[in-house]
This record gives sequence, C-alpha cells and structure tokens, in this order.
Amino acid sequence: MNLKSIRRMRAPLPLALLVLSFSACTQREGSAANPASPAAQPAVVYAAHVAAGGEPPPGATLRNPHEGDAAIARNGALLFTTMNCDGCHGADAAGAVGPNLGDQRWRYGGADSEVFMSIYYGRPKGMPAYGGVLGADGAWRLVTYLRSLTVPANLPTQSWDQT
Amino acid sequence: MRPIPLCCLAMLMTIAAGGAHAQAHQAKPAAANAANGDWAMPARDYAGTRFSPLAQITAVNATSLHPVWTFSTGVLAGHEGQPLVVGDTMYVVTPWPNVLYAFDLSKEGYPLRWKYRPDVSANAVGVSCCDTVNRGAFYADGKIIYNLLDGHTVAVDARTGHELWKTKIADVASGETVTMAPLVVKDRVIVGASGGEYGIYGWIKGLDLKTGTIVWTGHNIGPDADMLVRPGTFKAPYDTGADLGLHSWAGETWRIGGAPVWGWLSYDPDLDLVYYGTGNAAPYNAEQRAGDNKWTASVLARHPGDGTLVWAYQFTPHDNWDYDATGAMVLADLTVAGKSTRALVHFDKNGFAYTLDRATGKLLLAEPFVKVNWAKSIDLQSGRPVIVPEKQTGASKGTVKDICPCLEGGAAPTSPPAYSPRTRLFYTSTNNLCMDFGATRAAYLKGTMFQGAISPYSIGPGGYGGTFMAWDAATGKKVWENKEPFPNWSGALVTAGDVAFYGTLDGWFKSVDARTGKVLSKFKVGSGVVGNPMTYRGPDGKQYVAVYAGIGGDWLLLAGDVRSDDPTDVRAPADYVKDIARHTSQGGMIWIFGL
Repeated sequence: MNLKSIRRMRAPLPLALLVLSFSACTQREGSAANPASPAAQPAVVYAAHVAAGGEPPPGATLRNPHEGDAAIARNGALLFTTMNCDGCHGADAAGAVGPNLGDQRWRYGGADSEVFMSIYYGRPKGMPAYGGVLGADGAWRLVTYLRSLTVPANLPTQSWDQT
Repeated sequence: MRPIPLCCLAMLMTIAAGGAHAQAHQAKPAAANAANGDWAMPARDYAGTRFSPLAQITAVNATSLHPVWTFSTGVLAGHEGQPLVVGDTMYVVTPWPNVLYAFDLSKEGYPLRWKYRPDVSANAVGVSCCDTVNRGAFYADGKIIYNLLDGHTVAVDARTGHELWKTKIADVASGETVTMAPLVVKDRVIVGASGGEYGIYGWIKGLDLKTGTIVWTGHNIGPDADMLVRPGTFKAPYDTGADLGLHSWAGETWRIGGAPVWGWLSYDPDLDLVYYGTGNAAPYNAEQRAGDNKWTASVLARHPGDGTLVWAYQFTPHDNWDYDATGAMVLADLTVAGKSTRALVHFDKNGFAYTLDRATGKLLLAEPFVKVNWAKSIDLQSGRPVIVPEKQTGASKGTVKDICPCLEGGAAPTSPPAYSPRTRLFYTSTNNLCMDFGATRAAYLKGTMFQGAISPYSIGPGGYGGTFMAWDAATGKKVWENKEPFPNWSGALVTAGDVAFYGTLDGWFKSVDARTGKVLSKFKVGSGVVGNPMTYRGPDGKQYVAVYAGIGGDWLLLAGDVRSDDPTDVRAPADYVKDIARHTSQGGMIWIFGL
C-alpha cells in the first residue's frame, strides 16, 4: 500500500492541534484520550483495516512532525541503538527476534501514525511500550529513522537458480 | 510416561543412576525391566547420558529404519527438546504457546488421549532472545511437569491431562522467560530462567513436587546469602573467600549480571548433587563489568533439598564472547590417567571439552574439540584459561576480528551430547564457526535487550558448518567425526545397539555406527532438526526412535529467511550459510522411526 496516499485520504480537522494535545496528555500521564473531546478521539485511523459496512470509524491521523528530516532520521538511528531497539530488531532494523522494520511491510499497519502507536504503546506479541521512556517526540524520531531506510531490491523473491 | 503408578519414582531413581552405574545396564537383558523401554526425563537418566539400553536396532539392521508415523504440532517455532514415553503414552511439549500432547501409542495412528493448552502470555514472546523454544518435560509421581515461556511451572496429571498446580517462577517484565526442562529429584522440581540478554539476576529454584510451592531460590551471582552459600558447605576448587559472586564484579553490576539457567540439569544420587551450567554475563560488553563475574559461564553443584551450593567452577572467567556454559553436564565413571574417576563431562560453547571430578569440581582435563583461538589452553593447576590478549573484546577495542568459536558455541548448549558406557565415547554435534565481535556500550532498560555487541559469523577452516563427532573424555581426544555442510544443532542419542542418532540443520535425520560414524540410514524430515532424538519400546514390544523436526532457536534468527509464516518479515539470507533456506523452512513435526 502507498503510505502517502493513506495520509491524504483523510483531511482531519485540527491536525497540528491534535499532535500537540496528544503529546501533552500522553507524555506525563500516559492516560487514554478522553473520548468526550472531539480533539482527543482515538487518534489513529487504521485506513488499511476492513471497516464493517464500509464505514470507517471517525478519527484523525497523527502527523510525524519530523517527516523527511534527514538530521532527525540520523538522531533516530542513534536512538535505535541506545534504546536497545537493535537488540530485537537487529542492526539496521533488518530483523532478529523482532521482525524486519526495513522491508516496508508491517504487522500492525505502516502509516506513520500506526508505527508511532506501536512504539509508543507497544504491541501484544512482545513489543515493549517505549512511550514512557521516549516520550512522543522520541517515538517520532524513531519513525523518521525507519522511514529513511532503503527497502532492499527484489525483496519477495529469493532464487537459487544458476541462470 | 503416563499412568505409571507409585513405583515410578523408585524406577526413575534406578534409571537415574544409569550413568553412574552404567555397567549394570549392560549386564541386564534389555527386556528384563519394563522401565528400560521408557524415556521419562529429558536425558533419559539423571546422569544425562541419553543412552538407552534398547538394542533391537543395531548397526546391522539400522539401514532399514524408516518413518512409521508423523504428527504436525501446529507450531512453527524451533522444536528443541524431546518427547517423553512412559508406558504406552508419548508426551510432547511444543514451543510457545506450550501445548502438551499425550499420544496413545497402543492404538493405530497414535491418536491423542488428551491435550493441555495453558494460557501463556504473548508478552513473553518479546523478551525471548532466541525464539520461543521449550526444551521439554519431566515425568515424576504421575505428573508431567514442564515450564511455560511466560515464567510458570505446571504439573499436569499424566493420566487425565488435568492441571494439578501452576506456579509463577519468573518475571517476564524483567526479561525472564523459561525455556528449560525441569529436573525432578525426590520431592523437588528444579527450574531456572533464561534472560542473559536482558540483564536478569540469574537464579535456580526448588519447588515442592506435590504442591508447586517455591521452597528455595538460589542466585547464581551476588552475595553468599543470595547464592545459598552456607557456612562450611561451600568449597570452590580454585577460589577461596566469602562472597565470590559479589567481589568478582565491579560495583553493583552483579545485580543485572545475567547468569541464566536454560540448559540441562543432571543429578548424582550418591553425592546428592544437582549439576547445572550458567549462561553468559550481561552485558556482552565486558568492560561494563570488570572482574571474573562469578558464577557466570560456570558449573554449579547444589543439594536439591535446600539448594545449598557445594562447589562451583567457572569455565570462562570475565566472559568476553557470550560463552554460556548452559550445555549439559554428563556424569560418567571414567578412568582418567589410570585413575577411576566420578567424572562430569561438558562440551562448552568456548570450544573446550572439560572432564571434571564431580565430587569436588577439580579439573582433570580440558582440550579443544573445535578450532579455538581466544585461549591457548586451560591451565590445570589454576583451572583458568590461558587467554590470547588480542582476542579480548570490549567497547574500547572496536571490532575484534576472527574469534573462534563464535558465540553460538563450539557445541550449542541446546544440543546435548550422549554417552555410551559400551563404547565409552561421548557423541555431540559441533559448530565450525568463527566471528568478529564489536562490543558497544549497552544501556540497561528493564524489559529490553541488554547486550552491546554486533558479532557477524563466518564458517571456520575447512569450509564445513559443523560435525557430529565421537569424543573420548578420558583422554580428551576426538575418535571420529562426520562433517556436515551446516552448523549442527541436534542433540545426540546412543543405544545399546551401538547406534548413534542425530539430525541436521538442513533437515536430515541420520543413524550412524557408534563405533565408526558410518551413516546407516538417513531421511529428510521436512525441516531442520534442532531437537534431540530419543528411543523407546512401544506397546508392541518394538524399539522406535523419535525426533522433532522444526528449525528455530537461534537458527530462526541467524539462518536468514527460513520463515514463511509472516509476510511482514522478509529477510536477506545469512551470508555465512547462504543456501540453508533452500533446504528447509519452519514447521514443527514429530517423527517416529522403526525397523
């Protein structure tokens, strides 16, 4: 799937505001967003999910504040080793105990916001929740790093034929 | 193991003594004792020999061995460990989620009597360094006892499959998982935890067999009080003084110093000692933990009743290379240098095969069994390795090139050896691998990897990946070896028919002549073998051999893209075993072979 097009699919309301409020409320308290407030609705759209009745639930995407920033990506690479991400995901995120994160294939969704949520809150098959030690900005730096990885050519096919 | 009544414990004790008094087995016809046909504990006997007195399959007729039954476990992770057979039931534990199957061997097609599916937290998957493996169960007192990845020990009624007790022994949030097979001695269930890559404070525990209550906890590092070093009971063969597990560490580094227990345990009933090896010191960057780091990478001997530590010997002081000593400690009575000796034999990750006096821990001999270049030799006077300075690692040294063996070990601890009292030889898989080792400073973050090293591997001299070999531990000499193209990761089995068995990473299961290594039969079992063959006598009176196929363990992580179950995880082939994925994929299967 094309990640950029996913992000364009929704033109959510106050995007910048959302990012701010989300960071503010999770960084300190780690509390779930208050569903009563429209600005704090579940802040991820899983655009690749199958929506019952073809009706996706309302929500807004999070935007990576560092999108495409090469310096931040390098900083994220440093975080990737110092926070022991490489212990599980391997050097260059090529996969070890945890899956390859450089193949642009994702267990829990590949939109920036989904990768952010995986890092920030963790995932049930063993991905630790890093939001507590990294904060929202640290998680975004890691997202920026992962986005900067080059997908290997010819990924799906491994051939042993000597032609 | 199965509905065997009260007599079982006594019988187990008899079997247990098998290694120590192996000659008794030889004198007895195989059929004389019904228990001879069983395989009720991980290594069949307390001595850890993986020797069976069954002799229907011989070096003459093994050429006609063929598969008679298979079963898919439905689980894809690495299938280490081995089935158990008690009476007419076979018991199989799968990798996470640790399903326990009980097969009725008395009926055609071996249908299930029952299966037991515990609720095992998926969170444990994320703190399992090296795949979600399980090394098997133990039968005792009418119970099947085994460990769950998420830090529990369970006892299940061997007849009904009903859970009898379940005890939390380990803390997943601290990086502890449980992959080892328990050892039951009298009324104690002895268990330990993995987590050397997560900076755990390594320990071993004794549980009450009837209730599962934790009776004692002995740490493998730290102060004497935590290690259950009691006044007048502990005597290390090469060290003196109190709190050796404390003073051999810089500052408080022992608190996150590793020393996990994930390998094989053995027991000498005469000395009343349980033997086990400890894993690596944490982190891999040794400069963060100056000192010997006792008792990581060591063998420890404890009394099972109360956990009292009696002696300890460290194979790799100040471990620089992730040389866990969790491989099996096999007990055998050997004549070493003309003296009859109660020996303990251990093939270490560090590439040396050790023969110790198991009463005292004194070193009798230590010889390399693969290419070794981190140490010149082991000094028999001090018990210490003669280190090669340029192979010392650490963050300040950058990448140190060409260290042999690699951190997968000269022999993988997951691949236990076998010992035949008939040939007086040990049989083991080996790896011919070297590595570069680039240590980096590691930050301790509870619940995440605490490692600090990048260590690419290469195939060692000769271009073959590993061997299956026969070793004379009385002299420290190799007797024969079969070279294999890939590193060799299955356990060994040897029988009174003088046949040895092993599997290969590219999925062959082989029987060989125990005296010569000549291959007698081979069969492609569908996935690489990292489990351990075992043998039993079926209800029909015939001898069978069983083994798991199912590549995994470290090899899921290291062999390149052998996985096919996750479209979101595609990897490049490992450069040192480029075409392993050509020969195998994941998939857990139980195979049974017969004549």
